[in-house]
Amino acid sequence: MFNVSASHAVGLVAGLVALPVALIVLRFYPRWRLAPFTVRAATVLMAVTGAVHLALIAHHLRTQPVTSILFLGNGIAFLSLAAAFSWRWWRLASAAMLISTVLGYLFYVGVGLEGPDQVGLATKLVEVTALGLVLVPVRGEPGRPHRSWRWASLGVAMPLLIVMTGATVWIVDLARPDARHVHAGALLQATNAFPTQQQWDAANSLYRETKAAILKYQDWHEAWAAGYRPGGSTTLPSTHWMNQDFVKAGYVMDPHRPQGLVYGNSRHGPVLLGAMFQMQHINQFGPDPGGPLTAWHQHENICFTPLGFEFSFLTPFATCPFGAIDLSVPPMLHVWIVDNPKGGPFAVDIDPSVVAAVDRG
Amino acid sequence: MLVLMQATLWAIAGLSALPFVLGGERFMFALGLASLLLALFTCLLAIGLLWRRRWARRWGIRFEITCVTASLLLLAVPIGANRGPVSLMVNILLPLAVVGLLRGKRMRAAFAR
Repeated sequence: MFNVSASHAVGLVAGLVALPVALIVLRFYPRWRLAPFTVRAATVLMAVTGAVHLALIAHHLRTQPVTSILFLGNGIAFLSLAAAFSWRWWRLASAAMLISTVLGYLFYVGVGLEGPDQVGLATKLVEVTALGLVLVPVRGEPGRPHRSWRWASLGVAMPLLIVMTGATVWIVDLARPDARHVHAGALLQATNAFPTQQQWDAANSLYRETKAAILKYQDWHEAWAAGYRPGGSTTLPSTHWMNQDFVKAGYVMDPHRPQGLVYGNSRHGPVLLGAMFQMQHINQFGPDPGGPLTAWHQHENICFTPLGFEFSFLTPFATCPFGAIDLSVPPMLHVWIVDNPKGGPFAVDIDPSVVAAVDRG
Repeated sequence: MLVLMQATLWAIAGLSALPFVLGGERFMFALGLASLLLALFTCLLAIGLLWRRRWARRWGIRFEITCVTASLLLLAVPIGANRGPVSLMVNILLPLAVVGLLRGKRMRAAFAR
């Protein structure tokens, strides 16, 4: 959702190129200067989205010929509408075209024919903006402008389309993450697909060493004495305790000096669940002795608030709740010393049922 | 129209925080509520601009400049903030477009009331 798909990058380039070209070309139209600002802006935006659709045809031609034909139809229709801004039925035709294109994209994303990405989302934002501009009534319009109807449809259609787009894209992204996104916001390190015997041995060795080194922290007082402090709310099922000295020192996967410890917050006090190694910088993945078994992960697009050290996820429209900031966290690797049946000892997350069992125990 | 779009985006951001409240993140409720209130304020701002109110223009420009400044600061700091095309459109281009449309002598005259 937050990546630009390699096959769609050409669409982004085409859209950016189309913007100045449309601004220049449309100036030569005789009625351009007489058109209201909103009409001119909508025209340019429709030329941009038309160019994006046309640029995507080539890539989809072999694998999705029907999609290519639809892109061609969309592209030609948008460019034609951009050129026909003085046509009597221009507003009606443009609104219908824009709404059907956004709904068509949502259908494609919803049934899995297309993956949500930044080019798709950006194009939908352009189209929704163009729709708003098409619907805005202008003073001195000829004929019957149906002003109240248009204001009402603007107030309903635009927010509705934005919410529908955001919700569909988000649900699809959460339900069908790509291979390197194990859960929302966590990007896995690229590794070989299947571990070799050597990697199995290295992973087992790392697990044994780390478990032996951190067992002393089962008593949380020892962890406190060593400099670990809760890095978030202790009312949540589990909390990462961080040692800022080890974070700053930049020890790399040192079993005796893990940057963090993870404690389950049971009713009997903190229960040690595992350790966490963390790198110092974003996009700097650590050594990976166990291949796919010990792949690091980086949390991206988190909305973090210093209030209670809490977080939520960035929306598909790249916005955070008021008071939270969008950030990414340097790569990390967990070593769970309690049984984690769903993901194993190096999983990104610990199974919530394990934490619940710890709490009951 | 652009401000209404912004209000919708704030409302989505506010709603997105609420599921995390169920997971025990209590402050997220306050943040979600604050975002929804901001969405309401932005919606009122849009109505004020539609009615050509002077306060709406004044507050609109201030609000958008604050938004764009905060977004630029976030992009400048190396904390891994999203720099994708959607982020740039929503957090930079959109507020800049509103400021661009509201400033100038003609607009000041249009918002005389």
